[in-house]
Amino acid sequence: MTEHANDAEFQELLAAAAKLPKSIEPPRDLWPGIEARIAVKGRRWVRRLAIPLAAAALLAVVLLGRRGTIQPQRAWDVTRVAGVPRVGATRLGAAGAVGSLQAGDWLETDDSSRAVILVGDIGHVEVKPGTRIRLVRARPDDHRLALARGAIYAKVDAPPRLFFVETPAGTAVDLGCAYSLAVDSSGNGLIHVTGGYVEFDWSGRRSIVPLGFLAPARPGLGPGTPYAEDAPEALRRELVVLDFGTGGADAVRRALAAARAEDAVSLWHLLARVDGSLRAIVYDRLAGLVPPPPGVMRDAALRLDPGTLERYWSAIRRIAWRRVILRGVRDIDPRTGLSR
Amino acid sequence: MRVTDLVRRAQQGDQAAFQALYGEHVGRVYALCLRLTADPAQAEELTQDAFVRAWERLASFRGESAFSSWLYRLTVNVVFLGRRTTRRRELRVLAVEDPAVLERGGREATPGLGVDLERAVAALPAGARAVFVLHDVEGYQHREIAELTGIAVGTSKAQLFRARRLLRGMLER
Repeated sequence: MTEHANDAEFQELLAAAAKLPKSIEPPRDLWPGIEARIAVKGRRWVRRLAIPLAAAALLAVVLLGRRGTIQPQRAWDVTRVAGVPRVGATRLGAAGAVGSLQAGDWLETDDSSRAVILVGDIGHVEVKPGTRIRLVRARPDDHRLALARGAIYAKVDAPPRLFFVETPAGTAVDLGCAYSLAVDSSGNGLIHVTGGYVEFDWSGRRSIVPLGFLAPARPGLGPGTPYAEDAPEALRRELVVLDFGTGGADAVRRALAAARAEDAVSLWHLLARVDGSLRAIVYDRLAGLVPPPPGVMRDAALRLDPGTLERYWSAIRRIAWRRVILRGVRDIDPRTGLSR
Repeated sequence: MRVTDLVRRAQQGDQAAFQALYGEHVGRVYALCLRLTADPAQAEELTQDAFVRAWERLASFRGESAFSSWLYRLTVNVVFLGRRTTRRRELRVLAVEDPAVLERGGREATPGLGVDLERAVAALPAGARAVFVLHDVEGYQHREIAELTGIAVGTSKAQLFRARRLLRGMLER
Protein backbone atom coordinates (compact mmCIF):
# COMPACT_ATOMS: atom_id res chain seq x y z
CA MET A 1 0.00 0.00 0.00
CA THR A 2 1.62 3.15 -1.09
CA GLU A 3 -1.28 5.55 -1.18
CA HIS A 4 0.07 7.43 1.80
CA ALA A 5 3.71 6.55 1.51
CA ASN A 6 4.87 10.13 1.91
CA ASP A 7 2.42 11.03 4.56
CA ALA A 8 4.34 11.31 7.82
CA GLU A 9 1.21 11.13 9.91
CA PHE A 10 0.14 7.98 8.12
CA GLN A 11 3.52 6.37 8.59
CA GLU A 12 3.22 7.17 12.25
CA LEU A 13 -0.10 5.34 12.33
CA LEU A 14 1.44 2.26 10.75
CA ALA A 15 4.36 2.37 13.13
CA ALA A 16 1.97 2.60 16.05
CA ALA A 17 0.00 -0.36 14.73
CA ALA A 18 3.15 -2.43 14.42
CA LYS A 19 4.04 -1.57 18.00
CA LEU A 20 0.72 -2.60 19.51
CA PRO A 21 1.34 -5.24 22.17
CA LYS A 22 1.33 -8.69 20.63
CA SER A 23 0.20 -10.27 23.84
CA ILE A 24 -2.74 -9.35 26.08
CA GLU A 25 -3.54 -11.46 29.09
CA PRO A 26 -7.20 -12.48 29.23
CA PRO A 27 -9.09 -11.09 32.22
CA ARG A 28 -9.66 -14.57 33.67
CA ASP A 29 -8.03 -17.96 33.57
CA LEU A 30 -9.40 -19.69 30.50
CA TRP A 31 -7.65 -23.00 31.11
CA PRO A 32 -10.35 -24.71 33.25
CA GLY A 33 -12.84 -24.42 30.40
CA ILE A 34 -10.31 -25.74 27.91
CA GLU A 35 -9.28 -28.56 30.21
CA ALA A 36 -12.89 -29.60 30.66
CA ARG A 37 -13.51 -29.74 26.95
CA ILE A 38 -10.37 -31.57 25.91
CA ALA A 39 -10.88 -34.12 28.66
CA VAL A 40 -14.33 -34.90 27.34
CA LYS A 41 -13.15 -35.10 23.76
CA GLY A 42 -10.24 -37.32 24.70
CA ARG A 43 -12.53 -39.64 26.54
CA ARG A 44 -14.85 -39.79 23.57
CA TRP A 45 -11.96 -40.77 21.30
CA VAL A 46 -10.91 -43.60 23.58
CA ARG A 47 -14.46 -44.76 23.81
CA ARG A 48 -14.86 -44.84 20.07
CA LEU A 49 -11.78 -46.98 19.68
CA ALA A 50 -12.46 -49.26 22.60
CA ILE A 51 -16.04 -50.24 22.11
CA PRO A 52 -17.02 -50.23 18.46
CA LEU A 53 -19.65 -52.85 19.17
CA ALA A 54 -21.35 -50.48 21.55
CA ALA A 55 -21.58 -47.97 18.73
CA ALA A 56 -23.19 -50.58 16.54
CA ALA A 57 -25.63 -51.36 19.32
CA LEU A 58 -26.40 -47.68 19.68
CA LEU A 59 -27.05 -47.45 15.96
CA ALA A 60 -29.46 -50.34 16.26
CA VAL A 61 -31.26 -48.55 19.08
CA VAL A 62 -31.46 -45.38 17.02
CA LEU A 63 -32.86 -47.28 14.06
CA LEU A 64 -35.35 -49.01 16.29
CA GLY A 65 -36.31 -45.69 17.75
CA ARG A 66 -36.96 -44.27 14.31
CA ARG A 67 -39.05 -47.23 13.28
CA GLY A 68 -41.10 -47.53 16.37
CA THR A 69 -41.95 -45.59 19.46
CA ILE A 70 -38.58 -45.93 21.19
CA GLN A 71 -36.83 -42.57 21.37
CA PRO A 72 -33.05 -42.78 21.43
CA GLN A 73 -31.80 -41.60 24.82
CA ARG A 74 -28.29 -40.37 25.12
CA ALA A 75 -26.15 -39.37 28.04
CA TRP A 76 -24.29 -36.10 28.19
CA ASP A 77 -20.71 -35.79 29.36
CA VAL A 78 -20.04 -33.76 32.47
CA THR A 79 -16.55 -32.57 33.20
CA ARG A 80 -15.28 -31.38 36.52
CA VAL A 81 -13.87 -27.87 36.39
CA ALA A 82 -13.29 -27.33 40.11
CA GLY A 83 -14.10 -28.94 43.45
CA VAL A 84 -16.03 -32.18 43.59
CA PRO A 85 -19.20 -32.04 41.52
CA ARG A 86 -21.51 -35.04 41.89
CA VAL A 87 -23.24 -36.78 38.99
CA GLY A 88 -25.85 -39.12 40.39
CA ALA A 89 -23.92 -41.08 43.00
CA THR A 90 -20.55 -40.48 41.33
CA ARG A 91 -18.21 -37.86 42.69
CA LEU A 92 -15.89 -36.22 40.17
CA GLY A 93 -12.84 -35.32 42.20
CA ALA A 94 -9.89 -35.69 39.86
CA ALA A 95 -8.67 -32.98 37.54
CA GLY A 96 -10.51 -33.28 34.26
CA ALA A 97 -12.71 -36.09 35.58
CA VAL A 98 -15.63 -36.87 33.31
CA GLY A 99 -18.98 -38.26 34.29
CA SER A 100 -21.98 -39.35 32.34
CA LEU A 101 -25.27 -37.58 32.95
CA GLN A 102 -28.17 -39.85 32.09
CA ALA A 103 -31.77 -38.78 31.75
CA GLY A 104 -33.11 -38.50 35.30
CA ASP A 105 -29.68 -37.97 36.87
CA TRP A 106 -28.91 -34.96 39.03
CA LEU A 107 -25.70 -32.99 38.82
CA GLU A 108 -24.87 -31.15 42.02
CA THR A 109 -22.11 -28.71 42.82
CA ASP A 110 -21.26 -27.45 46.28
CA ASP A 111 -19.95 -23.99 47.09
CA SER A 112 -16.54 -24.70 45.63
CA SER A 113 -17.43 -26.97 42.72
CA ARG A 114 -18.00 -26.21 39.08
CA ALA A 115 -18.62 -28.40 36.04
CA VAL A 116 -19.36 -28.22 32.35
CA ILE A 117 -22.12 -30.20 30.64
CA LEU A 118 -21.77 -30.86 26.94
CA VAL A 119 -25.28 -30.54 25.55
CA GLY A 120 -25.24 -33.21 22.89
CA ASP A 121 -23.64 -31.66 19.85
CA ILE A 122 -25.28 -28.28 20.13
CA GLY A 123 -23.60 -26.44 22.98
CA HIS A 124 -22.48 -26.48 26.54
CA VAL A 125 -23.66 -25.45 29.97
CA GLU A 126 -21.33 -24.16 32.65
CA VAL A 127 -22.64 -25.16 36.04
CA LYS A 128 -21.73 -22.69 38.78
CA PRO A 129 -21.13 -23.50 42.47
CA GLY A 130 -24.15 -24.32 44.61
CA THR A 131 -26.21 -25.71 41.77
CA ARG A 132 -28.58 -28.66 41.47
CA ILE A 133 -29.57 -29.54 37.92
CA ARG A 134 -31.14 -32.61 36.33
CA LEU A 135 -31.08 -34.01 32.82
CA VAL A 136 -34.69 -34.43 31.80
CA ARG A 137 -34.34 -35.46 28.16
CA ALA A 138 -31.43 -35.96 25.81
CA ARG A 139 -33.03 -36.37 22.43
CA PRO A 140 -31.88 -34.81 19.17
CA ASP A 141 -35.11 -32.81 19.05
CA ASP A 142 -35.40 -32.08 22.77
CA HIS A 143 -32.35 -31.24 24.89
CA ARG A 144 -33.85 -30.51 28.29
CA LEU A 145 -32.45 -29.74 31.72
CA ALA A 146 -34.22 -28.85 34.96
CA LEU A 147 -32.49 -26.28 37.15
CA ALA A 148 -33.72 -26.63 40.72
CA ARG A 149 -31.36 -24.06 42.22
CA GLY A 150 -28.05 -22.38 41.53
CA ALA A 151 -26.72 -20.79 38.39
CA ILE A 152 -25.70 -21.81 34.89
CA TYR A 153 -24.35 -20.21 31.77
CA ALA A 154 -25.62 -21.82 28.58
CA LYS A 155 -24.32 -21.35 25.08
CA VAL A 156 -26.09 -23.13 22.27
CA ASP A 157 -25.51 -23.08 18.55
CA ALA A 158 -28.52 -24.78 17.05
CA PRO A 159 -31.84 -24.00 15.43
CA PRO A 160 -34.36 -22.47 17.84
CA ARG A 161 -36.39 -24.60 20.24
CA LEU A 162 -34.03 -27.51 20.65
CA PHE A 163 -32.65 -26.62 24.07
CA PHE A 164 -34.79 -26.07 27.17
CA VAL A 165 -34.06 -25.37 30.81
CA GLU A 166 -36.98 -25.90 33.17
CA THR A 167 -37.05 -23.95 36.43
CA PRO A 168 -39.61 -23.78 39.24
CA ALA A 169 -40.82 -20.50 37.70
CA GLY A 170 -40.91 -21.42 34.03
CA THR A 171 -38.97 -22.84 31.12
CA ALA A 172 -36.22 -21.05 29.22
CA VAL A 173 -36.51 -21.91 25.53
CA ASP A 174 -33.41 -21.33 23.44
CA LEU A 175 -33.96 -19.34 20.28
CA GLY A 176 -30.27 -19.43 19.34
CA CYS A 177 -28.47 -17.78 22.16
CA ALA A 178 -26.21 -17.51 25.16
CA TYR A 179 -27.50 -16.69 28.59
CA SER A 180 -27.02 -16.89 32.33
CA LEU A 181 -29.82 -18.31 34.42
CA ALA A 182 -30.00 -18.31 38.21
CA VAL A 183 -32.56 -19.86 40.54
CA ASP A 184 -32.53 -19.10 44.26
CA SER A 185 -33.60 -21.35 47.10
CA SER A 186 -37.20 -20.11 46.80
CA GLY A 187 -37.35 -21.02 43.14
CA ASN A 188 -37.17 -17.41 41.95
CA GLY A 189 -35.36 -17.14 38.64
CA LEU A 190 -33.40 -14.48 36.80
CA ILE A 191 -32.26 -14.79 33.22
CA HIS A 192 -29.71 -12.53 31.56
CA VAL A 193 -29.32 -12.93 27.82
CA THR A 194 -25.90 -12.25 26.34
CA GLY A 195 -26.50 -13.50 22.81
CA GLY A 196 -29.56 -13.97 20.61
CA TYR A 197 -32.95 -14.48 22.25
CA VAL A 198 -34.53 -16.62 24.92
CA GLU A 199 -38.22 -17.28 25.38
CA PHE A 200 -39.28 -17.76 28.98
CA ASP A 201 -42.60 -19.58 29.33
CA TRP A 202 -44.87 -20.61 32.16
CA SER A 203 -48.45 -21.74 31.81
CA GLY A 204 -49.20 -19.62 28.77
CA ARG A 205 -47.34 -16.56 30.06
CA ARG A 206 -44.41 -15.74 27.82
CA SER A 207 -41.52 -13.29 27.89
CA ILE A 208 -39.12 -12.88 25.00
CA VAL A 209 -35.78 -11.78 26.33
CA PRO A 210 -33.35 -10.35 23.78
CA LEU A 211 -29.62 -9.82 23.94
CA GLY A 212 -28.80 -7.24 26.62
CA PHE A 213 -32.00 -7.81 28.61
CA LEU A 214 -32.89 -9.58 31.85
CA ALA A 215 -36.10 -11.09 33.10
CA PRO A 216 -37.02 -12.29 36.60
CA ALA A 217 -39.45 -15.15 37.24
CA ARG A 218 -41.42 -16.32 40.26
CA PRO A 219 -42.92 -19.77 40.99
CA GLY A 220 -46.63 -19.72 40.40
CA LEU A 221 -46.46 -16.44 38.53
CA GLY A 222 -44.06 -17.18 35.70
CA PRO A 223 -41.69 -14.86 33.90
CA GLY A 224 -41.75 -11.15 34.54
CA THR A 225 -41.36 -8.36 32.05
CA PRO A 226 -37.90 -8.18 30.45
CA TYR A 227 -35.91 -5.04 31.11
CA ALA A 228 -32.74 -3.62 29.61
CA GLU A 229 -29.40 -3.97 31.38
CA ASP A 230 -29.40 -0.20 31.79
CA ALA A 231 -33.10 0.21 32.56
CA PRO A 232 -33.89 2.94 35.11
CA GLU A 233 -34.25 1.69 38.66
CA ALA A 234 -37.72 3.24 38.88
CA LEU A 235 -38.88 1.19 35.92
CA ARG A 236 -37.45 -2.04 37.32
CA ARG A 237 -39.15 -1.38 40.64
CA GLU A 238 -42.56 -0.78 39.08
CA LEU A 239 -42.23 -3.83 36.85
CA VAL A 240 -41.73 -5.98 39.93
CA VAL A 241 -44.89 -4.49 41.42
CA LEU A 242 -46.81 -5.14 38.20
CA ASP A 243 -45.47 -8.64 37.59
CA PHE A 244 -45.37 -10.05 41.09
CA GLY A 245 -47.02 -7.54 43.39
CA THR A 246 -50.24 -5.66 43.68
CA GLY A 247 -50.05 -4.04 40.25
CA GLY A 248 -52.63 -1.36 39.65
CA ALA A 249 -53.05 1.73 37.55
CA ASP A 250 -50.64 3.84 39.58
CA ALA A 251 -47.82 1.35 39.09
CA VAL A 252 -48.51 1.28 35.36
CA ARG A 253 -48.39 5.07 35.16
CA ARG A 254 -45.18 5.21 37.17
CA ALA A 255 -43.62 2.56 34.94
CA LEU A 256 -44.62 4.47 31.82
CA ALA A 257 -43.23 7.68 33.23
CA ALA A 258 -39.90 6.03 33.95
CA ALA A 259 -39.60 4.29 30.59
CA ARG A 260 -37.30 5.51 27.83
CA ALA A 261 -37.27 4.61 24.17
CA GLU A 262 -34.63 2.06 25.12
CA ASP A 263 -37.28 0.32 27.22
CA ALA A 264 -39.66 -0.37 24.34
CA VAL A 265 -39.14 -4.13 24.80
CA SER A 266 -40.57 -3.79 28.31
CA LEU A 267 -43.53 -1.67 27.22
CA TRP A 268 -44.34 -4.04 24.37
CA HIS A 269 -44.62 -6.87 26.90
CA LEU A 270 -46.80 -4.71 29.15
CA LEU A 271 -49.35 -4.24 26.37
CA ALA A 272 -50.68 -7.74 26.87
CA ARG A 273 -50.14 -7.80 30.62
CA VAL A 274 -51.97 -4.77 31.90
CA ASP A 275 -55.67 -4.56 32.47
CA GLY A 276 -57.58 -3.80 29.26
CA SER A 277 -58.59 -0.40 30.59
CA LEU A 278 -54.92 0.60 30.86
CA ARG A 279 -53.78 -0.78 27.53
CA ALA A 280 -54.38 2.44 25.65
CA ILE A 281 -52.04 4.49 27.83
CA VAL A 282 -49.37 1.82 27.47
CA TYR A 283 -49.74 1.80 23.70
CA ASP A 284 -49.72 5.58 23.46
CA ARG A 285 -46.58 5.83 25.55
CA LEU A 286 -44.89 3.08 23.52
CA ALA A 287 -45.90 4.70 20.23
CA GLY A 288 -44.60 8.02 21.52
CA LEU A 289 -41.23 6.50 22.32
CA VAL A 290 -40.84 4.14 19.33
CA PRO A 291 -43.12 5.05 16.42
CA PRO A 292 -45.00 1.97 15.20
CA PRO A 293 -43.95 0.67 11.80
CA PRO A 294 -46.29 0.90 8.80
CA GLY A 295 -49.23 -1.47 9.17
CA VAL A 296 -49.45 -1.28 12.93
CA MET A 297 -52.79 0.29 13.80
CA ARG A 298 -53.68 1.46 17.27
CA ASP A 299 -57.06 -0.25 17.47
CA ALA A 300 -55.59 -3.56 16.30
CA ALA A 301 -52.83 -3.32 18.89
CA LEU A 302 -55.38 -2.59 21.61
CA ARG A 303 -57.29 -5.70 20.54
CA LEU A 304 -53.97 -7.57 20.90
CA ASP A 305 -54.15 -8.66 17.27
CA PRO A 306 -51.28 -11.18 16.97
CA GLY A 307 -50.09 -10.01 13.55
CA THR A 308 -50.03 -6.39 14.66
CA LEU A 309 -48.12 -7.16 17.85
CA GLU A 310 -45.66 -9.31 15.93
CA ARG A 311 -45.03 -6.53 13.41
CA TYR A 312 -44.40 -4.02 16.15
CA TRP A 313 -42.18 -6.51 17.97
CA SER A 314 -40.05 -7.07 14.88
CA ALA A 315 -39.31 -3.36 14.73
CA ILE A 316 -38.65 -3.07 18.46
CA ARG A 317 -36.37 -6.08 18.67
CA ARG A 318 -34.34 -4.93 15.68
CA ILE A 319 -33.79 -1.54 17.28
CA ALA A 320 -32.84 -3.16 20.61
CA TRP A 321 -30.43 -5.50 18.87
CA ARG A 322 -28.72 -2.71 16.95
CA ARG A 323 -28.48 -0.61 20.07
CA VAL A 324 -26.67 -3.36 21.95
CA ILE A 325 -24.33 -4.68 19.28
CA LEU A 326 -23.32 -1.23 18.07
CA ARG A 327 -22.87 0.24 21.54
CA GLY A 328 -19.65 2.20 21.58
CA VAL A 329 -19.34 2.01 17.81
CA ARG A 330 -22.31 4.01 16.63
CA ASP A 331 -24.77 6.27 18.33
CA ILE A 332 -28.04 4.48 17.69
CA ASP A 333 -31.30 6.36 17.93
CA PRO A 334 -33.45 4.17 20.23
CA ARG A 335 -36.58 5.46 18.51
CA THR A 336 -35.61 4.26 15.05
CA GLY A 337 -32.53 2.06 15.29
CA LEU A 338 -30.71 4.26 12.81
CA SER A 339 -27.31 5.84 13.38
CA ARG A 340 -27.55 9.41 14.60
CA MET B 1 11.46 -27.56 28.85
CA ARG B 2 11.70 -26.63 25.18
CA VAL B 3 8.59 -25.93 23.14
CA THR B 4 9.32 -28.85 20.83
CA ASP B 5 9.44 -31.21 23.80
CA LEU B 6 6.21 -29.82 25.16
CA VAL B 7 4.56 -30.24 21.75
CA ARG B 8 5.80 -33.81 21.45
CA ARG B 9 4.50 -34.68 24.91
CA ALA B 10 1.19 -32.98 24.20
CA GLN B 11 0.91 -34.95 20.97
CA GLN B 12 1.18 -38.08 23.09
CA GLY B 13 -1.79 -36.95 25.17
CA ASP B 14 0.03 -35.17 28.00
CA GLN B 15 -2.42 -32.48 29.14
CA ALA B 16 0.09 -30.94 31.52
CA ALA B 17 2.41 -30.28 28.59
CA PHE B 18 -0.45 -28.79 26.65
CA GLN B 19 -1.28 -26.58 29.62
CA ALA B 20 2.30 -25.33 29.58
CA LEU B 21 1.91 -24.50 25.89
CA TYR B 22 -1.33 -22.73 26.75
CA GLY B 23 0.45 -20.65 29.37
CA GLU B 24 3.12 -19.74 26.89
CA HIS B 25 0.78 -18.63 24.11
CA VAL B 26 -2.55 -17.62 25.64
CA GLY B 27 -1.71 -13.92 25.71
CA ARG B 28 -0.91 -13.82 22.02
CA VAL B 29 -3.93 -15.91 21.06
CA TYR B 30 -6.27 -13.82 23.21
CA ALA B 31 -4.85 -10.57 21.78
CA LEU B 32 -5.45 -11.86 18.27
CA CYS B 33 -9.02 -12.92 19.07
CA LEU B 34 -9.71 -9.66 20.89
CA ARG B 35 -8.53 -7.50 18.03
CA LEU B 36 -10.31 -9.56 15.39
CA THR B 37 -13.62 -9.51 17.25
CA ALA B 38 -13.40 -6.31 19.30
CA ASP B 39 -15.44 -8.17 21.89
CA PRO B 40 -13.76 -9.37 25.10
CA ALA B 41 -16.37 -12.02 25.89
CA GLN B 42 -16.27 -13.44 22.39
CA ALA B 43 -12.48 -13.29 22.46
CA GLU B 44 -12.42 -15.42 25.60
CA GLU B 45 -14.65 -18.03 24.00
CA LEU B 46 -12.67 -18.07 20.78
CA THR B 47 -9.41 -18.36 22.69
CA GLN B 48 -10.78 -21.44 24.39
CA ASP B 49 -12.08 -22.76 21.08
CA ALA B 50 -8.66 -22.23 19.50
CA PHE B 51 -6.84 -24.21 22.17
CA VAL B 52 -9.41 -27.00 22.06
CA ARG B 53 -9.01 -27.14 18.27
CA ALA B 54 -5.24 -27.11 18.66
CA TRP B 55 -5.46 -30.08 21.03
CA GLU B 56 -7.61 -31.96 18.55
CA ARG B 57 -5.26 -31.25 15.68
CA LEU B 58 -1.92 -31.58 17.40
CA ALA B 59 -1.24 -34.74 15.47
CA SER B 60 -1.28 -32.74 12.24
CA PHE B 61 1.50 -30.45 13.46
CA ARG B 62 4.68 -31.76 11.82
CA GLY B 63 7.08 -29.08 12.96
CA GLU B 64 7.44 -27.60 9.49
CA SER B 65 6.80 -24.17 10.98
CA ALA B 66 7.11 -22.82 14.48
CA PHE B 67 4.41 -24.08 16.81
CA SER B 68 3.43 -20.48 17.49
CA SER B 69 2.88 -19.79 13.77
CA TRP B 70 0.79 -22.94 13.46
CA LEU B 71 -1.26 -22.00 16.52
CA TYR B 72 -1.89 -18.41 15.40
CA ARG B 73 -2.98 -19.54 11.96
CA LEU B 74 -5.32 -22.03 13.54
CA THR B 75 -6.64 -19.26 15.78
CA VAL B 76 -7.42 -17.06 12.79
CA ASN B 77 -9.26 -19.99 11.22
CA VAL B 78 -11.28 -20.52 14.39
CA VAL B 79 -12.20 -16.83 14.54
CA PHE B 80 -13.37 -16.77 10.95
CA LEU B 81 -15.20 -20.05 11.22
CA GLY B 82 -16.93 -18.74 14.34
CA ARG B 83 -17.79 -15.51 12.60
CA ARG B 84 -19.41 -17.33 9.72
CA THR B 85 -21.41 -19.50 12.12
CA THR B 86 -22.51 -16.50 14.17
CA ARG B 87 -23.46 -14.59 11.10
CA ARG B 88 -25.54 -17.47 9.79
CA ARG B 89 -27.31 -17.79 13.11
CA GLU B 90 -27.99 -14.10 13.43
CA LEU B 91 -29.43 -14.07 9.96
CA ARG B 92 -31.62 -17.05 10.75
CA VAL B 93 -32.82 -16.11 14.18
CA LEU B 94 -33.15 -12.39 13.85
CA ALA B 95 -34.38 -12.16 10.27
CA VAL B 96 -32.26 -9.05 9.95
CA GLU B 97 -33.96 -6.39 7.94
CA ASP B 98 -30.82 -4.41 7.37
CA PRO B 99 -28.06 -6.74 6.12
CA ALA B 100 -25.63 -3.84 6.16
CA VAL B 101 -25.68 -4.15 9.93
CA LEU B 102 -23.95 -7.48 9.67
CA GLU B 103 -21.51 -6.23 7.10
CA ARG B 104 -20.63 -3.36 9.41
CA GLY B 105 -20.62 -5.82 12.25
CA GLY B 106 -19.10 -3.53 14.86
CA ARG B 107 -18.96 -4.38 18.50
CA GLU B 108 -18.61 -2.39 21.62
CA ALA B 109 -15.29 -0.62 21.83
CA THR B 110 -13.21 -2.76 24.09
CA PRO B 111 -12.93 -1.38 27.57
CA GLY B 112 -9.51 -1.61 29.03
CA LEU B 113 -7.59 -1.49 25.80
CA GLY B 114 -6.82 2.07 26.65
CA VAL B 115 -4.97 3.61 23.79
CA ASP B 116 -6.80 5.46 21.07
CA LEU B 117 -5.49 3.24 18.32
CA GLU B 118 -6.85 0.11 19.97
CA ARG B 119 -10.26 1.74 20.31
CA ALA B 120 -10.18 2.91 16.75
CA VAL B 121 -9.23 -0.55 15.50
CA ALA B 122 -12.04 -2.04 17.57
CA ALA B 123 -14.51 0.35 15.93
CA LEU B 124 -13.54 -0.62 12.38
CA PRO B 125 -15.98 -2.64 10.28
CA ALA B 126 -15.31 -6.34 10.77
CA GLY B 127 -13.80 -7.05 7.36
CA ALA B 128 -11.51 -4.05 7.40
CA ARG B 129 -10.53 -4.69 10.99
CA ALA B 130 -9.57 -8.28 10.29
CA VAL B 131 -7.31 -7.39 7.40
CA PHE B 132 -5.76 -4.49 9.27
CA VAL B 133 -5.03 -6.63 12.33
CA LEU B 134 -3.61 -9.48 10.29
CA HIS B 135 -1.54 -7.29 7.98
CA ASP B 136 -0.42 -4.28 9.98
CA VAL B 137 -0.36 -5.73 13.48
CA GLU B 138 0.40 -9.41 12.92
CA GLY B 139 2.49 -9.03 9.79
CA TYR B 140 0.71 -11.44 7.45
CA GLN B 141 0.97 -10.89 3.69
CA HIS B 142 -2.13 -10.34 1.56
CA ARG B 143 -1.72 -13.77 0.01
CA GLU B 144 -1.69 -15.37 3.45
CA ILE B 145 -4.66 -13.30 4.59
CA ALA B 146 -6.60 -14.35 1.52
CA GLU B 147 -5.81 -17.97 2.26
CA LEU B 148 -6.71 -17.67 5.94
CA THR B 149 -9.92 -15.73 5.59
CA GLY B 150 -11.23 -16.98 2.27
CA ILE B 151 -11.26 -13.59 0.57
CA ALA B 152 -9.50 -12.61 -2.64
CA VAL B 153 -6.09 -10.96 -2.52
CA GLY B 154 -7.57 -7.88 -4.16
CA THR B 155 -10.28 -7.73 -1.50
CA SER B 156 -7.66 -7.95 1.19
CA LYS B 157 -5.79 -5.01 -0.30
CA ALA B 158 -8.98 -3.01 -0.67
CA GLN B 159 -9.99 -3.72 2.92
CA LEU B 160 -6.58 -2.66 4.16
CA PHE B 161 -6.83 0.58 2.23
CA ARG B 162 -10.30 1.13 3.68
CA ALA B 163 -9.18 0.30 7.20
CA ARG B 164 -6.24 2.67 7.08
CA ARG B 165 -8.37 5.46 5.66
CA LEU B 166 -11.03 4.97 8.31
CA LEU B 167 -8.46 4.78 11.07
CA ARG B 168 -6.82 7.97 10.01
CA GLY B 169 -10.20 9.66 9.86
CA MET B 170 -11.11 8.41 13.31
CA LEU B 171 -7.84 9.42 14.88
CA GLU B 172 -8.00 12.87 13.32
CA ARG B 173 -11.38 13.67 14.89
